[in-house]
Amino acid sequence: MSLLSLSNVHTYYGESHVLEGIDIDVHEGEVVALIGRNGVGKTTTLRSVLQLTQPRDGSITYRGEELVGLGTHEVAQRGLGWIPEERRMFGQLTVEENIRVAVPDAGDEAAALDQAFETFPDLESRRDADASDLSGGQQQMLALARGLVGENDLLLVDEPSEGLAPLIVDAVADALNAAAEHTTILLVEQNLPLALDLADRFYVIDHGTVVDSGDTSDVTADDDRLRRYLSA
Amino acid sequence: MAISSDTANSSDTADETTASTLPAAGRTDAWYVQYAREHVLHIAVIAFLAAYPGIYSLLVNSPVSAEFVAVLPRVETMVTVLYFGLFAMSFDFISGYTGYLSFGHAAFYGTGAYFVILATNGKFPGVGPETPFVALLVLGGLLAVALAIVIGALSFRLSGVYFAMITLGFSQVLYVFVRDWSFVGSAPRDGIAVTGKLSGFQIGVPGVDALNLAIGQLTGDAVEGFLGVLSFTPTEVSYYMVGLVVLVSYFAMQRIIHSPFGRVMIAIRENEERARAIGYDTFRYKLGAFAISAFFAGIAGGLLAGFKRSVTPESGFYFLVAGDALLASVLGGFGTLAGPLYGHLFDETVREFLSKAGGGGGLLPYLRDHLGANTMATELYNGLTVAEAIDTFLNGHAALYVGILFVLFVLYVPNGLLGTLRDRYGGTLSTVVARWFQ
Amino acid sequence: MNGLVLLGDALVLSGFVDALVDFLGPSNLGTVLLDGLAKAALYVMIASGLTLVFGLMGVLNFAHGSLTMVGAYLGGLLLVLTAGTATGGVTRILLFLLAVVTVFAILAAVGGLLEVGLIRPIYDRPPLYQILLTFGVTLALDEFVRIVVSFYGIQPISEWQAALATKPAALSQSYAFAGVSARGLALFQILFGVATIVAIWAFLTKTRYGLFVRAGSEDGEMLAALGVDVQRVFTLVFALGTGIAGVAGVLLAWDPSWGASVPLAAETLLPAFVVVIIGGLGTFRGTVVAAGIVGMTDATMTWWFQNFVDFTGLPEMTIFLILVLTLVWRPQGLYGVSEVGGH
Repeated sequence: MSLLSLSNVHTYYGESHVLEGIDIDVHEGEVVALIGRNGVGKTTTLRSVLQLTQPRDGSITYRGEELVGLGTHEVAQRGLGWIPEERRMFGQLTVEENIRVAVPDAGDEAAALDQAFETFPDLESRRDADASDLSGGQQQMLALARGLVGENDLLLVDEPSEGLAPLIVDAVADALNAAAEHTTILLVEQNLPLALDLADRFYVIDHGTVVDSGDTSDVTADDDRLRRYLSA
Repeated sequence: MAISSDTANSSDTADETTASTLPAAGRTDAWYVQYAREHVLHIAVIAFLAAYPGIYSLLVNSPVSAEFVAVLPRVETMVTVLYFGLFAMSFDFISGYTGYLSFGHAAFYGTGAYFVILATNGKFPGVGPETPFVALLVLGGLLAVALAIVIGALSFRLSGVYFAMITLGFSQVLYVFVRDWSFVGSAPRDGIAVTGKLSGFQIGVPGVDALNLAIGQLTGDAVEGFLGVLSFTPTEVSYYMVGLVVLVSYFAMQRIIHSPFGRVMIAIRENEERARAIGYDTFRYKLGAFAISAFFAGIAGGLLAGFKRSVTPESGFYFLVAGDALLASVLGGFGTLAGPLYGHLFDETVREFLSKAGGGGGLLPYLRDHLGANTMATELYNGLTVAEAIDTFLNGHAALYVGILFVLFVLYVPNGLLGTLRDRYGGTLSTVVARWFQ
Repeated sequence: MNGLVLLGDALVLSGFVDALVDFLGPSNLGTVLLDGLAKAALYVMIASGLTLVFGLMGVLNFAHGSLTMVGAYLGGLLLVLTAGTATGGVTRILLFLLAVVTVFAILAAVGGLLEVGLIRPIYDRPPLYQILLTFGVTLALDEFVRIVVSFYGIQPISEWQAALATKPAALSQSYAFAGVSARGLALFQILFGVATIVAIWAFLTKTRYGLFVRAGSEDGEMLAALGVDVQRVFTLVFALGTGIAGVAGVLLAWDPSWGASVPLAAETLLPAFVVVIIGGLGTFRGTVVAAGIVGMTDATMTWWFQNFVDFTGLPEMTIFLILVLTLVWRPQGLYGVSEVGGH
């Protein structure tokens, strides 16, 4: 049974029909990548799962439970974490406070912080700094840390490598791989080599629908099968 | 079949009007027939308003008088409805059509009112008691325009809440200024009154005596033997003359709304980014619309001064004056232009119905007549009689009930009465009625 | 003719310099400083609730002033009922504190109900509607209070004298130290203002909900995605905001320059807006700093009006001009993050 299942999902922004029937399945333990050009609906897919933008039609189930119609916080409380594009740090809060917000239970804060700093030692040295003072790479680590301390079984990760130097991207990839060992990940990523490296399976999205899918072991980054759906 | 859009009243564009009132294929109507058809509703409303004083006196003197005296506003209240309605319409012109809430709109109203009185009292060089009232109205309006350009140039760099707050700030500065500045009068806090001229302000063609009528409850002209049979009191004459100015102003604003300029205003409200992307200098359009709305707000203030012959800082410049226009627009419908007039009519009607003022119309006298003195004297609670209860909780406190209604409207009837009707029928009511006559 | 004009100007100028020297003298400066701080304390209390609510929810609560007014009357009522003529000064202060706690609780409850019943349904509509709605609430609420207050024979427009009279005698006096004369009430207000600032600061930085408020003021969507029931935080903050507004009212009921009266609603709303916008909508730090600026300006201009310039509206006009200047030069306010026009 899939952990997360999207079935014929239609989502609109105002009158704009962005998702025109998305079907995706994510099984427990795997990493699934969503590939496609800018604007085809990849981020919207993640937002639809979180009910940040409620789908007008279709169904999204998590462990068999319907998510459409729930509040975003209710979806998040069921174990879905969001690591959005642009990271969206609370810039005026410190690194430590950013992590604390994500901890579901106030009593677990101390333990969660310990765990986070163990996984990301770089953050510990900057725990009292304002999040807006961090570098892009550090912010990405912080975003990941937030996702991990939230006791999430499924992470929705949106363009983690965006705007980062190649060396930092490597570090991010390592962190994601480590996270993938005990968390399921649905990944949106334009960096094709990175996406194929991290993911087990992929879906290609074009004009709001799924046009192709398969195992990442069957394709390479230069494959025409994928390239024709990406920006030139 | 009308296209319903997310925001109401975007249906009031000229395209809709012409598209749905074209004559059936093969017939070509004369332009005046076409015009009449498109304006049937306007004509009907104007006819009703014109007949109102007559209807009122008829009903007041008839056997059913009690009910009507209670509910219908007096003619002098209707005069206020007209000029404040104009102010409310000018408020809607900017706030409803561009989406920029002009919370400081009272600044222009007050400017028009104060200008007329100060000019008549000889405080400004070049104008005085002999200057025709119509000229004073226009000058007051232009003064308001100048003010609007200054305020707008600074304020339109912002939007939303910030724009509303900064215009409020400007209008409050003027309020304090006018309240405390001795140039204005000996006791500026109490306001100013016309001292430079005993006769009434005249509306009409300047210079042509026969085409002028004076306004004012006491100073207005009484007309006898009009068309042989009709006579009008000074208040009624004021009603018609003020109404004339308001009518002309309304049509002017309407023309602008239904022009390309007006369409840009609406585009700004719907999506300013896109309007800018298409190439419109939205700043200029906003400033222009603001200036136009200020002009008519100034005229409305001038009419206030002309009729009442006095104005106070509270009645001219205080921010709650704009609040009343806001109330009128919510009740009547934002972005409908005529809606605020009806909204204000409703507001004033309720206020008069529940007014504490002596016998002249209202709930209490009506109940007193119909329920009898005994019922009125029945004790409800702790020695409080029915009459006293009504006097304490209802009379003079229309603001509470209208306020509650206002909140209910914002929640459930956000497009106001006229706006909701327009949505229901898919177009301005004029076009709807016009279609019946095809 | 020219000579006379010059002479006139010179006289005015020398008069101004005289007044300036007077103003800068330690005793006057000291008094103005203290008055300024007292006013700043009041402005902080009046404006804090407004800024917290706007920062988190993007709602500009037009009814904020009315709620302060209700707090003033409620507090005044409690004090009038409990403080007899023989009650000692210390007891009066204790009764005051009791009134503060009670009014806070009642107004917070009212605020919570308002939020759930009226604000929440229109939360997704353009911000315009929230202004409209809260404006309607203010209209109705003010009139309602007018009815109730008149019913009990209290004049709604003039300050409630009976409430003013419940002040301990110690606060009505002035005290001199280091050559500066300080009103007892001013010192009390400063104390209260500081206590309020500390309390709010502690809430924001030391509690979990305070953390949510600060995070939500930046990015409500992200906060929800982290599993926090943002709606509940909204209701809490709105309740908190109205509670603080009510407490400000109680404090004002003891101040003869304000006093409990229906016009208090408008009298506090406008300064609250000014302070909040100058400081930056949504930042508490901004509100505190702006309250300081506005308070000092108010006190300074009041001194100048009383001693040199014959224009009653001088303080008010100066403050509004500062508002306009701020909006023109830096619309987001001193500490505001960006031009947040809503959520």
